[in-house]
Formats: sequence, structure tokens, C-alpha cells
Amino acid sequence: MRSIVKYFYSPFLALTLLLCLSSFLADKSGPITQAYRKAGLTDREAALHLLNRFTFGATTSDIDNLVKIGADKWFAEQLKANYPDKELQERLAAYDAINLSNQQVNQKFPRAPQVLRQAIKEGHIHKDSINKTDKKAYREMLNSYMAQKGYRPQQELYRQFISQKILRATYSQNQLQEVLTDFWFNHFNVSLTKNDCAMYIPAYERDVIRPNVFGKFSNLLLATAKSPAMLFFLDNFTSVGNNQEKAQATKQNNKPNALGKVAQPKKAKGLNENYAREVMELHTLGVDGGYTQEDVTQAARVLTGWTIYPAITFDGGGNAMKKLEQLSPSTLEKRGFVREGDFWFTPNRHDNGIKIVLGHKFNGGGYQEGVALLEMLAHHPSTAKFICHKLAVRFVSDNPPQKLVDNMVKTFNSKDGSITAILQTMVADPQFWTKEALGEKTKSPFELAISAARALDADVLQPYQLYTWINKMGQKIYAYQAPTGFPDRAQYWINTGALLNRMNFGLAIASGKIKGVKVDLAALNNNHEPESSEAALATYGNIILPERDLSKTIERLTPLLTAPDLAEKVSKAASKNTAETGDDSLDMDTMVPKIKAKANKPKPAFASNAMLAQVVGVIIGAPEFQKR
Amino acid sequence: MITRRGFLKAGGLAVFGIGLGGVPNFVAQAAAQIKAPGLFKRRKTLVCIFQRGAMDGLMAVTPFTDEHLRAARPTLFMSAAKASPGKPLIDLDGKFGLHPSMAGFANVFKEGRLGIVHGIGSPNKTRSHFDAQDYMESGTPFNKGTSSGWLNRAVGLLGHDTATPFQAVSLTSSLPRSFYGDNPTLALSNLSDFNIQVKGNPAGANMASQSFEDLYDQTAQGLLKETSKDSFEAMNVLKKLDTKNYVPANNARYPNSALGNSLKQIAQLIKMDVGLEVAFAESGGWDTHFNQGTDTGIFARNVNDLSESIMAFWTDMGTLQDDVTVMTMTEFGRTVKQNGTGGTDHGRASCNFILGNDVLGGKVHGKMDALAPENLEDGRDLAVTTDFRSVFSEVADKHLNINKDGVLFPEWDGQHIGVMRT
Repeated sequence: MRSIVKYFYSPFLALTLLLCLSSFLADKSGPITQAYRKAGLTDREAALHLLNRFTFGATTSDIDNLVKIGADKWFAEQLKANYPDKELQERLAAYDAINLSNQQVNQKFPRAPQVLRQAIKEGHIHKDSINKTDKKAYREMLNSYMAQKGYRPQQELYRQFISQKILRATYSQNQLQEVLTDFWFNHFNVSLTKNDCAMYIPAYERDVIRPNVFGKFSNLLLATAKSPAMLFFLDNFTSVGNNQEKAQATKQNNKPNALGKVAQPKKAKGLNENYAREVMELHTLGVDGGYTQEDVTQAARVLTGWTIYPAITFDGGGNAMKKLEQLSPSTLEKRGFVREGDFWFTPNRHDNGIKIVLGHKFNGGGYQEGVALLEMLAHHPSTAKFICHKLAVRFVSDNPPQKLVDNMVKTFNSKDGSITAILQTMVADPQFWTKEALGEKTKSPFELAISAARALDADVLQPYQLYTWINKMGQKIYAYQAPTGFPDRAQYWINTGALLNRMNFGLAIASGKIKGVKVDLAALNNNHEPESSEAALATYGNIILPERDLSKTIERLTPLLTAPDLAEKVSKAASKNTAETGDDSLDMDTMVPKIKAKANKPKPAFASNAMLAQVVGVIIGAPEFQKR
Repeated sequence: MITRRGFLKAGGLAVFGIGLGGVPNFVAQAAAQIKAPGLFKRRKTLVCIFQRGAMDGLMAVTPFTDEHLRAARPTLFMSAAKASPGKPLIDLDGKFGLHPSMAGFANVFKEGRLGIVHGIGSPNKTRSHFDAQDYMESGTPFNKGTSSGWLNRAVGLLGHDTATPFQAVSLTSSLPRSFYGDNPTLALSNLSDFNIQVKGNPAGANMASQSFEDLYDQTAQGLLKETSKDSFEAMNVLKKLDTKNYVPANNARYPNSALGNSLKQIAQLIKMDVGLEVAFAESGGWDTHFNQGTDTGIFARNVNDLSESIMAFWTDMGTLQDDVTVMTMTEFGRTVKQNGTGGTDHGRASCNFILGNDVLGGKVHGKMDALAPENLEDGRDLAVTTDFRSVFSEVADKHLNINKDGVLFPEWDGQHIGVMRT
């Protein structure tokens, strides 16, 4: 009986299943696709928006590819972030310093004062000669000492580090991972401007931020709290419990404690509130998240003793390490020491009294109470709101819809702060796709530079040259001095000076004037030369700004580019202007008398490569390209 | 009546020498005169310097007779006694001592041109850098929603129409919060970069410039459009001026620092007669939680840069000194007690410096009680005894001749304390 039924139904079942499956495959409609369709977007519009939000710049082929595999699958792949990135790896191969551990960095790129001290100690440089000898000779002495020891200048480390960020953003196929790394780095900002912390920043981004960007928020928080970069940037590495200080003073009078001076890179004697305040204000609760000055002080007490493992420093930890090494791991553990990589919890600097933070009591739990504090902060309702709002500002618009943020908060709370889950909720919400949000974010200078390089399919051989421009446009990457990170809103990026530099950047990159950034404009159009500047505008407009309505831009620019006597007029005005103002606005190679030749013999406006570069430069400097 | 925008727009076109149809002759002539000095009337200039990170006012200007301070700062306290280790403080009035690295200020203080206000701060108790700066720059310490900055409102109160795009200039890479608002303001970090440039192709640069100006005017919206107008106006004026070969007067030597460079360019703008009235610059590195040092070290370097930059500017101004007033500001002060790491944590009141010939100088204004624990705010910080709005409004009112504190600082109806001569 059963088997008859089975026989009877199975072809139907199979057929139905097949039909369902094929229709599902055909329209690929997962929650993301459904959401944008509900919001009234076409597949291509949606593809552009996704790429604008989750990559460093969209090209036509990116849009084609995304439409082909479908928005849901594309986003899922980006969340997995496991494209092999062969091209990127090849480009990064030249940068040998970016994979070093903190310890190796300390030993290969020591800070100048450390080198100097060592050079004096070893008798290579005489102490009294420092001020007497002229600067040049002194520097030569130091350089030869560094070469002999195999030390390299720190500036080289930072150049490599900055270069790798530019290359990753430009060439990685795992774009979302890079975008999120940028976001979370900025959220947990540390800065190269702080000397003590700078050398730890490359490892911070590589080992602390990037591997955690898809995980739980609490993991990210904990990892940053324990990283040397953050411990130095916000001074917690040196914070010591006040009661501990007294206790030790009396102890040391009786019997010197072998571990009394462990892990104290500088003289440390007491509490430092810096990290405790910023972790609440900037990393978790937000400034209006409901904490008081007293909570700050109490939290600082909870986090005393969190510092760096002495062995990673330039001198390998010196005496502190020697003393430590005399003790067995089990003894250390018994006494409450905790080592995790470069992090070190040292109980003799920890305040083991009672503290109360936001109504929670912490009672001498050593390392674990710090972990408990951070877990509590990570799971606080204010944190969910603060983080989700910030994510929405980055990925939706400067003023995201509150209801969308509320939905993200729900996911934050129900999915234990899973960043992946929050992003999925956000993208599957029709409010992510409203017309008001499309193209509404203003690119930061970094985003502008990278998106231009991507749009022009540039061969970035000297990424540091791009950095110079990004800096000039107002974003000194990795060097925002305040722990807030760069503000994420248009008003911060757009001002009179920065805007002119954005236009200049467009002209410079398109005309190949940025050293080590090769651009082949003809190849972009499969080596078809446009017949007129009008045609060039339309063609290159679509290449650089795909899926955008450029009719207004083209309409405005066409008469300027095609007026029959324009070239002559402009040249004349320019040569007159140059005569009056000298080389005022221009670089040395302006002196080359190119102007006259052009003025005398006006070619059809579009004949030269310079004109094409000009057109492309104007498109990159145009208002449309400043937005994403 | 030619509107400001209309005038400059025409000027811009005249410079390019194209598209002149319909522009009255006299406007074109006026535009051609831009190069000549005195196109814009020289007016008084207020220069504000924001010290970001919260300066330790108690170390900059130390109440050195206060025993509580000495006790609270075992390794940071400095004395005015000649016999003290390191350089002694510069005794100002028997009670307050100036940090030795600010020796440059000593003379102008003696001459009565430099005034100091101690115990200045915000009535809002926040110890967050970001919030405190935001409140100080918006000028509304209890309202986060204020969209404009107090200096932008000051520009609005100047009460005269001017054609210059350089009425308010910030020498920073981004527009400071103090400048947000409806009145046109400029941000620029380098005068000689303020141009559309194409290496080796000035004709191209001019064409591109024209394209951009038209494109932004016609196709951009909101912020991009408004900003671009200001950019091009300013650019077209600067084009006619020599911005590259500036030589400061009276052998003034600016430190080669961010602040030094900013003040140098402010001096340049003032002398170029571009109509500058409100200028803004920044100084960083004041968040000294760790090893702030005493007569040497981080703090000493910072105050040295501050005073040397300001004094270079003052020297450079020479005969124009009557026209300028310089005022410093910082978001809050630092704890009376030094922290466990040779530094100080976020506190409340700090001090500020005001330099100008109209300043009632040679005096430490404000009120500071003995730093006994019972006199401290929240038991730890120098109490705020003078609202920053009182000082800012008095300086702006007197120097810029404006008189509407209700607009400058809505929600504030306090008194001035007499930091300026009447």
C-alpha cells in the first residue's frame, strides 16, 4: 500500500520540487533581492547601491557580475571573504614589514631614542657628542650604527603599512572585509601620531581588527582592549591600582617582591582613567549612554594590571623578563598572571578592592573581572543602539531612518552582537534601499582616491603617492589624533580647501601625473578613440560613473568642450594669466612652453590625449563622483 | 546694488576672459583691480586658537603659592623659586607663575597687552573631549542640536555687507565646528595650494577650472554646491595675489609647526587686505595623561610652540597690532591631582590667553580659591568660576564691535568680567 502511494506521488513531487527550484534559481530572490524589489529598485540599480555601500568603488563589470550571481549570493560571498586574492598577494609581496609580529617590529624598527641609548651604551656614539657634533654628522653616525645592527627606520614601516591599506582597498576581491576593517579600525581608533603606540598599529589592524570584523562585537571589544596598540594609545598599559601601590610600598620595605617591577616599561604608580572613559564613551555606550565620572574611575580600577608582555619590547623585557622566567608557568598562573600573545595581566598592579560600575559589583576577580566588565559593556542596551546607529550612518546615510536602526538593534540583542547578523538585517530591510539613501553618502578622501583608481583600472605601483593626495584632501589615514576616529559625515569632508583638492586629484590621476599610478585611458574603452569630446564625455562618463544619470553633467560640459574657438580662448587667457602671476599656481615643469604651440594651432578640441585626460579628470572631480 | 555673489562671479569670469557677455564694464574693471591693495576694506581681525585635547591650565599658569597643589602634584608641581630644580616659573603677580617655556609671553604681559583668565570653562560638566569641544564651539553648552558655531554667528553680526570670500578663514584641513553655519566661511590648509592645477598645463587647468565651476554651480546640490561657490570665489581672488613669497616683517620667526604655519598664513591674509575678520587655527597634543613633564617634556614643548607661534604673529603684525586680537581656548582643564602615570586626567576649568592692544592685560582675571579638596568641583577638579561665554563674547564684542550676545550665545545672560579695556 505504502509503496503504491510512493510510486504514485513521487514523479509529481519531483516535478514540483524541480519547478520550485528552477524558479528560485531563476529569480535568485533571497531576502536582499526581495527587499530592493519591494523598494522599487531594478537589479542594476540595486547592484550599484550594494557596491557603493560595501566596496571601495563600483565598475561596470562589477555591476554585471553582481547582477549575474544575484545580490543575495554576492553579499553572502562577501561575508565569507574567502576569495584567494592572488593579484593582491602578488602586489603585497614586496612589502616585507607588514607581516612582522610586534616583537619583530620592536627589534627591526626600533624607535630612535632606543637606538641612541643603545649606541651610547655600546660606546658607538659618545654621549657628549650629541649636542656638539653638527646634526648631519650625528645623523650619519646613527645611520651607520643602525645599518651595522640591521635596524631600519620606523618611517619605512609606516610607509609599508599605509601602502598595504591602499593596495588592499584597491585590489582585494574581499571588498567587504576591507570596508569593515576600515570601519572598525576607525571605531577603535589608534593613531600613528602617538609615538609609544605607533609601532604596534600594523599588527593591530592585521591581527586584532581584520580577523574579527564579521564576528561578535564583544570579541572585537575584548581583542582591542588587550592589544598593545590600544593599551598604549589610551595609556592603560601603565595604569596601576592605588591600593596596590600602597600595598607594594609596605611590602617592599620588608621583603623585595621579585615581581614588583614586572612589566613596567615606564615608572608607573597609579590609576589612569583614559581608556576607561573612552571605552564607554566611544567604543560601547556612547557619550549619552548613561555612565558617570564615578563609573569611569571605577572602571579604570577594574582594568588596572592590563598591560603588555614585557618580552615583546626592544630590550626583550630586560630584568623584568629575567625575573619572570625564573618562575614556572604554573606558578605564574597560580598567582593570577595571564598571558595571551602580547597581552599580559599582572596581578600585582591590579586593584583588588571592591568597585561598582553601572551598578555592577566587581570584587577582586583579577583578570576575569576586567573581562566581565567589557562583556557587560558589550551587552549593554546603550551599546546596541550606539553601534547600530553608527553602522547605519556608515552604510545607509548620514541620517539613517530610526526604524531601520531599531531593527538592527533587535538583531544585535537577539544574535549576541553578531556583526554579520546585524549587516544581514540591515541589507534585507527595504529601508536600506530607499531612494533617499541612493548615492547619498559623500566619499571620504580615501574612498574617493580608491574609487578613482578602481574606476580607471589604475596600476598602483607606488601606493604612497596616492596617500600624499588622500592626505592633501583632508584625511591623514592612520593619523587621526583623537580616539573618536574620523567623523563619518559629509560636512567634515567637504570644505573649500578640500573640495579644490578633490578636483585637482581628479585631474592629476586622469592625466597620469601621480607618480607610480599608471592609467591607460584608451584601454578603458578597448582602445577605441572617441570621435569628439562629446562622445568622450558620454563614453567615459558611463565607464567611470556606471548606472548614473549623467545627462545634466554632459549637458553642462559639452558646450565648454566643444566651442569651436574655445581651445584658443582658454589658451590665450591662460598664457596671459601665467604672465601676470608667474608660476604661482604651478609646478616647475610649467616652464615648458607648450602653451604657445597650442594657441597658435588650435586642433579640433578633442584630438589630444591631454584633452581626453582632461575630460576624465573633470568627471572624477565632478559632484557626482564625490558621492556613493 | 550688486550682490556679493554677483560681483565675485563676474570677477571670476573676467579673470578667465571668457563668457563676458552682459557683465557691466565697471564690474569687469573692478574685478581687474582685485590685485591692487585695498580692494577690501581692512577691518579688525579676531584670531581664535583652539587647543584640542584640554590644556592643563594649572601647569601653564600655576598658582605656585598653593600648598594643596604642591601636595597633589608631587612630581609635576613647579615653583617660582630660583633655587628650584629645573627652570623656575615666571612670577606674574606673586600668586601665579607662567610656565618657563612661555617666556615669550612675559613681556607682553608686563606691557599690559596679554590678559589671562583662570578658572574658565563650561557650565556643562562633561569630561568628554568631543562633547566639550562641540559645546564650546557651538556656544550652547546644554544643547547638542545647535547647528551653527559661535564664530559663524559672530560673522553674521558684523553688520556690514562685504564682497570678500575671506571674511572668515580657518587654517585647518577641515572646517571647525565653530565655523558651521549659514555665513560663508573658508577652510584651507595651504594658501599656495588653493587653486586648480594641472602640472605642466596651465591652459588645461584654466579650462578645467571653468568646467568645475560651472558643473558644481549647475549640477551639484546642497553642501557641494555651496562649498564650491566659496572655493571658486576665494580662488579667483587669490589667483591675483602673490601667496608664495611671503616674508614676515620685523624678523618674526614662526616655529615650523602646524600652529606656526597657520598663524603665518593668517598674517599673510591680513596683510593682503582680503578683508579677513575672523580667523581660526588649531593646536594639538594637549591630552597629557602620561608623562607630561615639567620644565621640559611634552607639555613644555606644547606651550613653547603656542607662545612662540603667537609671539611671532604679534611681531609680524607690527604696525597692524591695533587691528588684531588673539584668543586661545581649550575644551576643559585637567585634574588637580596628578594621575598614576606622570600625567593628568580630564578635569574642569583651565585658563586662556588673550593678546591685543585693547585687552586689559598684565592681569590674571577670574577667581580661583585655594585648591583644598572642599573647593574643588566633584572633589577633584579646578572649579569653573568664569563661563567661557562671558570671555568669548566680551572679546568678540569689543574687538569686532558687535553687540548681540543673545545671538552669539543664546541661553546665556551672564556678565562680562572686564578682560577688555572700556
